[in-house]
Amino acid sequence: MSDNEIIRCQGLHFSYPNGMEALKDINLTITQGEYVAFVGQNGSGKTTLVKHFNGLLKPTQGSIHVFGEETRDKKVSALARKVGYVFQNPDDMLFCSSVEEEVAYGPTMLGFAVAEIKEKVESILQELGLQTQRETHPFALSLGDRQRLAVACVLSLDPEVFAFDEPTTGQDYFGGESIMEVIDQLHAKGKTILIITHDMPLVAEHAQRVVVMNQGQIALEGTPKEVFSQTNYLRTLSLRSPQVTRWAQNLGLEGQTVLDIKEMVTWLEEKYLPAPVQGKGGLA
Amino acid sequence: MQSIVEFRAVTFSYPRADKPAIKDISFSLYPGEFSAMIGPTGAGKSTLCYCFNGVVPQLFSGTLNGTVIVSGCDTCQMDIPVLAQHVGLVVQNARTQLFNVTVLQEVGFGCENLGWPRQKIQKRVEEALAFVGLSGYESRQPSALSGGQQQRVAIACVLAMDPEILVLDEPTSELDPIGSEQVMEVIARLNRELGKTIFMVTHDMEFVAKYASRVLVLNECCLMEDGIPQDIFGKEDLLRAARIRPPQVCEVSQQLRRHGYSIPRIPISLEEGVETLRRLHDER
Amino acid sequence: MMSIDFASQKSPLQQLDGRTKLIALMSIFVLALLFSNPLYALGLLVLVLVIWWIGRLPWKLIKNIMQFLLVIALIILVVQVFFYPGKTNLLQISPPIKFIGFSGYITLEGIMFGVAMVLRLVVIMIVAPLMVMTTPLPEFMVALVKLKVPYRFAFIMTTALSLLPSIQNHAAIIQQAQLCRGITDFETKNLLTKLRAMAGLLVPLILGTFRDSQTLDVAMSSRAFGAPVKRTFLLESHLSAVDYIILVITFLLLVAGIYLRIRGYGAL
Repeated sequence: MSDNEIIRCQGLHFSYPNGMEALKDINLTITQGEYVAFVGQNGSGKTTLVKHFNGLLKPTQGSIHVFGEETRDKKVSALARKVGYVFQNPDDMLFCSSVEEEVAYGPTMLGFAVAEIKEKVESILQELGLQTQRETHPFALSLGDRQRLAVACVLSLDPEVFAFDEPTTGQDYFGGESIMEVIDQLHAKGKTILIITHDMPLVAEHAQRVVVMNQGQIALEGTPKEVFSQTNYLRTLSLRSPQVTRWAQNLGLEGQTVLDIKEMVTWLEEKYLPAPVQGKGGLA
Repeated sequence: MQSIVEFRAVTFSYPRADKPAIKDISFSLYPGEFSAMIGPTGAGKSTLCYCFNGVVPQLFSGTLNGTVIVSGCDTCQMDIPVLAQHVGLVVQNARTQLFNVTVLQEVGFGCENLGWPRQKIQKRVEEALAFVGLSGYESRQPSALSGGQQQRVAIACVLAMDPEILVLDEPTSELDPIGSEQVMEVIARLNRELGKTIFMVTHDMEFVAKYASRVLVLNECCLMEDGIPQDIFGKEDLLRAARIRPPQVCEVSQQLRRHGYSIPRIPISLEEGVETLRRLHDER
Repeated sequence: MMSIDFASQKSPLQQLDGRTKLIALMSIFVLALLFSNPLYALGLLVLVLVIWWIGRLPWKLIKNIMQFLLVIALIILVVQVFFYPGKTNLLQISPPIKFIGFSGYITLEGIMFGVAMVLRLVVIMIVAPLMVMTTPLPEFMVALVKLKVPYRFAFIMTTALSLLPSIQNHAAIIQQAQLCRGITDFETKNLLTKLRAMAGLLVPLILGTFRDSQTLDVAMSSRAFGAPVKRTFLLESHLSAVDYIILVITFLLLVAGIYLRIRGYGAL
């Protein structure tokens, strides 16, 4: 395993106890500092795959190495210190009676010194904007704050990798942007980010690498531009690229894929549209 | 045209709440309309949905001021079972609203409660399942279905009672892309083919632009705007205040307009966007 | 945790009407309460196991039930051995302790009573899954209603049962989430630690269940639940000849059992 590799799957197969085959022959490597999005229909295996990265699931065939060691004999609670997993519903992760207690729980259990714990909790609360709510009961927080709290709890274990299960699903635009800001900040600090999502604009605007799953296998892989350029193939996988991407393709964009609004406006102004008539902007 | 739903200065506060969940809401819906309600999380949209069939104030205690008239019935005077025959309510999470062991039992549940003759129930169930594309699923277990299928079963459940109005609270927010499209197709056909009046709460602006003929914006418990999608998506300040992002087609077009391009009518759907830009392009 | 699968196996028990099964199993329940003689209790257990075999139900579940009851069974045995006022003394293990009524001896009757209690408990614990696994819930509901149980009550019972799997699912997810917080308690062999860990699942589980049940309430009301009319039931159920035969046999057994008990048999 090369120095930068942190997760390596080789010939990974996984079947549920009832015999259903969920993953077939997965070969995948993830290196330090990557920002990877896992997309695919429900049932395609994306969540099943990511749950192998922290040992929640163990392969029925093949192997997976996390930070150089096979996960087969490792406990989830031990791997949690290397690969953090934030569940879709933050309520499933919270159980203490105050925000401060929640964030302190992990380090306390790991046996850190009291002074160290205090310092750690302070810095994490600051980082996630929860300092003013430290005494609040977790369930009294808004959904967005509960999500941040769940991230804080995982952060308190100091993992190098963060996996997020559908961080923006079921929320309004602002809620989604808010949590993505937190995730981007973590990435800026050097953490490796893995996101399971349906939100295609999210993928286009934040991810550096996309893994498209279909029926337990990796159907497509690459940068967002590479993946979204394959419109026809994506359609057969019942996935929809962002609206601007499809719009540009419909207009006959050649050789380049548009990912977001800024790119779209730039391309339109530089290549597609005639220069605007000065002074006549807008309404006729 | 006579309105089919009328909200007159409706204000509702949950017990022990320091401010109302919805305040001074007035609007009318007309038969056959497809209306969408958008707004940030916590604005009161779900509470408003519950007002349609008497769940508020009959099931949830609290103080209701103002009147809600649905198909000529006052929701404070009529029992919920009567209102259920005029308004079908489908809530957000498909999984939690299904509790029977077979799809047949599930879809027939409402009709059974109303004491309809067995033959009529069987016929209605068959028709409802056929309409949502799930014929032959009668003996399947609802909990074993996919999210999209579950939501379609939930729609069939209320459809079987043959209401004129359907209220759907974020029907697709927890579904994957293919599930969302299937459910939206069913909802669109309910409106197009059966003439049902649709009131749908959603965060998906592309769907709003594609299907709705009318948009209501709810923000901080109050009704901010009520108009056609073209107008609403053009109001940038309003949308920003309501934490809503319009379809990408709109945003791009508005930026182009600010840069001096002549765009008399801001397109809101992909098709309109293609048409608008092609026209501009061809003006070269 | 025991998982109760509601998909009925193909067996002769499936053809019986829900009412027949309900009445037969309730009668066995009553008989189990009547007899304190281990031999009679054993007879009932054999009867119940035979019915289990006819129903082609999994033996693994019997094993699970036994394992589950092991600790309770031991406690019952010990308590009865010490406290049952027996006559046939077998072994003296201590001087008499007057204030708890212990004679100091382990008595034959004590052991027999203890054994009988355990057997009766096992019979009762098997009857419930026997009912649930041979009767699909809609049938169970119709049976209850036809036996004049109020609809609301029958509905609550059957819906609670049908929601059990989803609560179990949620508990599993919460457990996974807590493992991801670094909690090691679920992964130890220590029983006490494991129990403490399970207690930690309760708050999020109860909260989630409460929220879901509110949504359920809305969904049910929106589908006219509780409408003040005579409710129709899609599922029809009729008593066949076999049902009547079984009912008659059950009745005779019950009468015979009560008669024997009154005459002093079946007790120690």
